[in-house]
Amino acid sequence: MPLIETHALTKQYPRVLALDALDIHVEPGVIGLVGANGAGKSTLIKILLGLLPATRGAAHVLGMDVNTQGREIRSIVGYMPEHDCLPPDLSATEFVTHLAEVSGLPRTAARERTAETLRHVGLFEERYREMGGYSTGMKQRVKLAQALVHDPRLIFLDEPTNGLDPAGREEMLDLVRRTGREFGIAVLMSSHLLGEIERVCDWLVVIDGGRLVRSGAVAEFTAGLGSLEVEIEGDAGALADALTERGFEARGEGFIAHVALNGVDPYDAIRDCIVEMEMGLVRLEQRRQSLEDIFRPEEPEAVAERV
Amino acid sequence: MSERATGSIYDLGYRRYEGLRLGRREATLSLYVHGLRAAFGLGRRTRSKMFPMGLGLVAALPAIGYLMAAAFIDIDISDAIRAEDYFSSVFFFPPAALMLFLAAVAPELLGRDQRYATLPLYFSRALSRREYALARYAAMATALLALTLGPQALLFLGNALVVDSFGGYFKDEWRQVGPIIGSSILISLFFAAIGMLISAQSPRRAFATVGVIAPFIFLPIISGILVNTLDNFIGRLGVFLNPFFVIDGFTYWFFDAAPDFGDGHPLIQADFAGGWYFFFALVVTALGVALLLRHYGRRSL
Repeated sequence: MPLIETHALTKQYPRVLALDALDIHVEPGVIGLVGANGAGKSTLIKILLGLLPATRGAAHVLGMDVNTQGREIRSIVGYMPEHDCLPPDLSATEFVTHLAEVSGLPRTAARERTAETLRHVGLFEERYREMGGYSTGMKQRVKLAQALVHDPRLIFLDEPTNGLDPAGREEMLDLVRRTGREFGIAVLMSSHLLGEIERVCDWLVVIDGGRLVRSGAVAEFTAGLGSLEVEIEGDAGALADALTERGFEARGEGFIAHVALNGVDPYDAIRDCIVEMEMGLVRLEQRRQSLEDIFRPEEPEAVAERV
Repeated sequence: MSERATGSIYDLGYRRYEGLRLGRREATLSLYVHGLRAAFGLGRRTRSKMFPMGLGLVAALPAIGYLMAAAFIDIDISDAIRAEDYFSSVFFFPPAALMLFLAAVAPELLGRDQRYATLPLYFSRALSRREYALARYAAMATALLALTLGPQALLFLGNALVVDSFGGYFKDEWRQVGPIIGSSILISLFFAAIGMLISAQSPRRAFATVGVIAPFIFLPIISGILVNTLDNFIGRLGVFLNPFFVIDGFTYWFFDAAPDFGDGHPLIQADFAGGWYFFFALVVTALGVALLLRHYGRRSL
């Protein structure tokens, strides 16, 4: 069963076309939703949650129709909004317990799950303090915890790293990764930062101006575009020539040669060449091209607003 | 287990929740209970408790004073305060305390969720917007009920203790129990509907509070002018503009009693049968709740 499926999904606001006949099909995993600010990421998430009605088109989450089964969907998904949403005069424990109960957990179960979930997101003694005094990082953790507390099958994270410093960003990304890999909960995470998506997600959906730009596995995006860096003791130019002779795409300069990895397996050839030419191999490193390298030429606007 | 990031040696890893998942009714109920506690500031700072608790005390003051007088002064003052007069305009401050309580609590119940943007967290759970609004309304009405029924219960018990035979008092006066409960419930539902509908219009606490108080101050003035100056049917209808008079009207009708108002009192001048006030209060309550539900049903996020 696909995790999320949309057909010609359209959302027309009075003055803006937020989603323009969007067709998406993604399987369970950690999904990255990328687009510039205003590309329609938040609108898409809200429609998938059944919080906003679509103007036209259909959407299914976990096989359920967002128009008719909104309640069923919402009972097994979690949502972490982009904006601040925590009452400052409550403690994290109180607040998350309350929301767990609203999600249908009995009181004792709500308490237990709250304690466990807050621990998972890395909130310990401070969970008994009023949230008004929390740092942005702690607030983001509580927001993630309330989305996870009822053990959903899918969570929507709207810009989870917003407002965090580099260290906090790193920790949040690690939490998202763990949620997807260790907890076994599907994740749809929106971000305007390609680098984040690349490190956390295994599937990528790129939208721009409410339209689908591309949807595919992150590995697919970068596969065939990477290269192998070969550091040798010897003339890298000569090695590159020898490899080119054997049909590989290679160039070399000084002690370092680059061999393209577009669907070929050059490792044996490199070994043979180096042995034949009696050079010493110092280092072999795969250089994966980053997503930003791929999108920069095609999608200057999509990444233009990177912070 | 790669839990090193959180540095906890007793971390068992993530566990799935396999337990019971309750339905929408329990979800709504938990929101209601949470709202009811919040109405009195329970589980909050002392500062949040002071105002609602204080107003609750003010509303109960005549009953408490009466009980103390009955306990310490050895004269028969039984029935010095009649149940039907308690929230009528005969005593000024119990109904005024109700109104202030409404103005303090209703904006708190609805405004907080808008101010702190917690509404999307509720609406992204298996709870509909109408259920949210209903749970909040029910919490407000129940909180008011504590303020209306509480003092009445004190008064009733007090009267029963003052007279020689507790059982005898109850036997004679049990007919009062129905009207006491009935009028308390309707006052609470009626006030809650007005206060919550107004509070829903603004997330700003100050605006909402002033917005709730305003009609309780200005409508009685307009009502008094209409009834006293226009000597016709339209003028008489003005009595319905005063929420306190509406309460008087149906409460005395419930108790089948006559108020001790002078002839110049608008309620006497208007001279409508008590049932009309009852009917009017029901209509206003139903309309207020319907509009509140509509307001939240249409609210976009």
